Amino acid sequence: MTKEEVQGAEEEQQAQSKKALKKQQKEAEKAAKKAEKQAKLAAEQQSTEEDDFAKDRYGVSAMVQSQQKLDRALVRVQDLTPEKADQLIWLRARVHTSRAKGKQCFLVLRQQQFNVQALVAVGDRASKQMVKFAANITKESIVDVEASVRKVEQKIESCSQQDVELHIERIFVISQAEPRLPLQLEDAVRPDGEGEEEGRATVNQDTKLDNRVIDLRTTTSQAIFRLQSGVCQLFRDTLTKKGFVEIQTPKIISAASEGGANVFTVSYFKTSAYLAQSPQLYKQMCICADFDKVFCVGPVFRAEDSNTHRHLTEFVGLDIELAFNYHYHEVIDSITDTMVQIFKGLRDNFQTEIQTVNKQFPSEPFKFLEPTLRLEYIEALAMLRAAGVEMGDEDDLSTPNEKLLGRLVKEKYDTDFYVLDKYPLAVRPFYTMPDPNNPKYSNSYDMFMRGEEILSGAQRIHDAQLLTERAIHHQIDLEKIKAYIDSFRYGAPPHGGGGIGLERVCMLYLGLHNVRQTSMFPRDPKRLTP
Amino acid sequence: MSMYQQGNSCTSEHALQNGEVDPAVKALEARQDEIMRKLYELKAAVEGLAKTVTTPDADLDLTVSSSLSSQSFSSTTLKGTTDLDTLLGKDQGALRDIVVNANPAQPPLTLLVLHSLLSQRYRVLSTVHVHSSVSNVPPQLLSCLGPRHADSYARHMFQLGFTLIWKDVPKLEMKFSIQNMCPIKGEASVARFLFKLLAPYPSDPALATLVDSWVDTAFFQLAEGSAKERATVLRALNSALGRNPWLAGPEFSLADIACYCCVLQSGSMSSAPTNVQRWLKSCENLGHFGPAKLLLQ
Repeated sequence: MTKEEVQGAEEEQQAQSKKALKKQQKEAEKAAKKAEKQAKLAAEQQSTEEDDFAKDRYGVSAMVQSQQKLDRALVRVQDLTPEKADQLIWLRARVHTSRAKGKQCFLVLRQQQFNVQALVAVGDRASKQMVKFAANITKESIVDVEASVRKVEQKIESCSQQDVELHIERIFVISQAEPRLPLQLEDAVRPDGEGEEEGRATVNQDTKLDNRVIDLRTTTSQAIFRLQSGVCQLFRDTLTKKGFVEIQTPKIISAASEGGANVFTVSYFKTSAYLAQSPQLYKQMCICADFDKVFCVGPVFRAEDSNTHRHLTEFVGLDIELAFNYHYHEVIDSITDTMVQIFKGLRDNFQTEIQTVNKQFPSEPFKFLEPTLRLEYIEALAMLRAAGVEMGDEDDLSTPNEKLLGRLVKEKYDTDFYVLDKYPLAVRPFYTMPDPNNPKYSNSYDMFMRGEEILSGAQRIHDAQLLTERAIHHQIDLEKIKAYIDSFRYGAPPHGGGGIGLERVCMLYLGLHNVRQTSMFPRDPKRLTP
Repeated sequence: MSMYQQGNSCTSEHALQNGEVDPAVKALEARQDEIMRKLYELKAAVEGLAKTVTTPDADLDLTVSSSLSSQSFSSTTLKGTTDLDTLLGKDQGALRDIVVNANPAQPPLTLLVLHSLLSQRYRVLSTVHVHSSVSNVPPQLLSCLGPRHADSYARHMFQLGFTLIWKDVPKLEMKFSIQNMCPIKGEASVARFLFKLLAPYPSDPALATLVDSWVDTAFFQLAEGSAKERATVLRALNSALGRNPWLAGPEFSLADIACYCCVLQSGSMSSAPTNVQRWLKSCENLGHFGPAKLLLQ
C-alpha cells in the first residue's frame, strides 16, 4: 500500500461514519414524527367521538339489496348545465379524483365520459368529520350525492361540465372500490410519448387488457365503443333501407367453409365439428333461397397463429351477399355506398367521440370520395412499378405493397377508402367467377381503408358445373364440398358479396394502431381472458 | 326513286289490308325508314354546314358528327396530330388518369369545355366524385361531365381518365403522375396542360405569347377584375375580333375557350359589343360550350 492509498481509505472510513451518523439522526427524526402522528391520530379520533352534528349526512350505505324503492330522481352528469343552477339535486357517480385541502375537499365525479367538480366544505351543512370522510373515499367508488348546483365564475377546464360545480350536502358510498387500483385511469388515457417527457406513467396494453373493466371506463374506451356501436347501427340501418334482410347463420359447422386450414375444431358429442370461419356458404344458400339481398352481423373464428396488430382469432363479421342483374359492379356499388353512408354517419354524428380518441391517439381525419374510387389491379401494378416495386402480373399484393399502394392512392386521389377490382384469378378462392374476357383475371375485388385490406369479395360462381371444374383445378376434395356445390343445382341467381371485420373498420377509421383497442374482449393466440 | 318506292309501298299496304302478307312489304318499309333517316341526317349536316358560314373554321357540331360516322370523324377545329404516348409517356397497360380537385364554389368552366373537346378526340373515362371535405354539392355539378359512358365498368378500355373531385381546396389543382410531376395549381395552368393534349401550342413564339396573354387577361381581368377592367377587356376583345375570326388569329385556340368562359362567368354576355357577340355565337356553334353554359343556369 502506498501512502496515498492509506489516506484514501481513512477518508472513506470517515465518510462512512459520517453517513452512519446522519442515518441515525434521520431515524430518530422519523420516530419522533411517528409519535407525533399517532398523537394527532388519537386526538382526531377523540374529536370524531366528539359530537358530530352532520353524522346523518354521510356514511357507507347498506348494500343495496332492493330493500326499498325510492322515488328519488337522479340527475345525469351530462345534464348539469347552468340552467340547473341553485337547484338541490341527487346524483349517482363515481369518484374520479379527490383532493382534500384543509377544511374542504374537492371531488371530481364521473359518469361515463362526463365529469363534474364537487366540493365538500366545513360549514353549516358539513362537519369536519364529513369532509374527512369524503376525502378518504377511494377512487372509483360509487357514491350517491345530494348537492346544490352552482354556477362558477371561471370555467373548470379539467371537467366536461365546465360551467357548474356541486356543493355537496350529503354523500353516501354505494359501492366501495379497493384502495389499490391495478391501473390509474389518467395514466391509461395519456398519449404515447407525453408521459415519458414528464416522467409520468403510461399503461401498457397487456395491463389494460388484463384489467379491461377499468380500462373500458376511460374516456377513450368509452368513445371507441360508442363509435363501434354506431358502425353497427349505421350498417344495419343503411342495408335495411336498401331492402336487405338480416339473417342469422350457424357458427358450429360440419365442414370447413374455406379450404380447411385455419379452423378451430370443437368436440361435438361423438364426433368433432368446426367453428365457422365465415358465414359465406349460408349467405349464398339464402340467395339461392330467393332472399335476394342479405346481411348478417356475428362472430367469425380464425385459427391463425398470427400475432400481428390486425389479427384476432375471433372477431365480429359484417357480411353482405346479394343477387345482381347483369354485372357484379352492382354489388360493388351497393357495398361501397353502404360504407360511404357509414363514414358519413360517423363524420356527422360521432364528432365528439372521434375528437376524444384523437386526444390520446392523434390521427388525420378519415377521408373518402363519393362515389367510391374504383381502380383495377393492373393500374395498381403500374402505380407500384412506377414507384420501383418489382412484382409479376399474377402476384398477390404483400402487406407492405398494400400499404405503399394506399399511400400512392392517397397522394393522387386524397382518399383513405378505395376499391381494387379485377384481381388475378390465381390468388383468389376456387368459387371466384373468372373474368369473361381475360382468363388471367377474375371478377373479384378488395376494399382498403388507410392502406389496409378490410373486405375481400367477388362474384361467386353460381353454376354447379363451372364450380366443380374450378374445385378440381384447385385440387379440392369434391366429397367435402358436395353440399356447397349442390346448392347451385336447382337454379341460382348470379350473386356476389363480401365481409368486413367490425374491429378493423373501427381501428382504421380512427387511425388506431392495434385491433385489440377496438375489440372489447379481444381473443388472439395468446389471450383467452378476460 | 323515292316516289316510286312510296307508290309501291302504298300498293303493298292495300295488299296487307286484303289479308295477303307480302314479305317484300316489310323490306320495303325498312328501306323507306332508312332513306328517311339518311335524309334527316343530310338535313342536319346541311344545317351544320350553314353554321360554318357564320362560324369560321368550325366543323359540324357534335350531334351531327355522332349521327354520321363518329369513327372517321376527326375535329378540324383543332389541327395537328397529337399522340398521348408521346405527350404523356407510355401507359404500361393502365389508365392514364388526370385528377382535378375543384372547389364547388368555383366550377372550372374552361376545364369542362376542354373535357368535351378531349372526349371527342380520345376515349375518355369521365368520373365525378365528392370528397368528404365538402357536403351538399348541387346535382348539376355531379352531372357536369355528362352521362356515364356505357363501357365505364372496364377502365382499361379507355385512353385517358378525367376524374373530377369536388373538394374543399383554396385553388384548383391537378394531379397526374405523382412520381414525376408536382400538382399543378390554378385553372389557367391546368387548362394549358389539357389544351396541349388537343393541339400543339403555336410554334410561332409571338402567336404563343398572344394566346398566353389572352388566357391571363381572361382569368385575371375578366373573372376577377372590377367592372371597369371588364369593360376595357370587352373593348379589347371587340377590336381583336374585328381583325380576326378568332382571338389568336385564324385558328380556334385556348384563348377563345378561356375568354368565352370568363365572359360567361362575369355575366357580361348580353352587354358585349357586336364583334364579341358574333364570336360568342361562333364559339357556341362548336358545340363544346354547352356543359359550361348549363352549369351557370
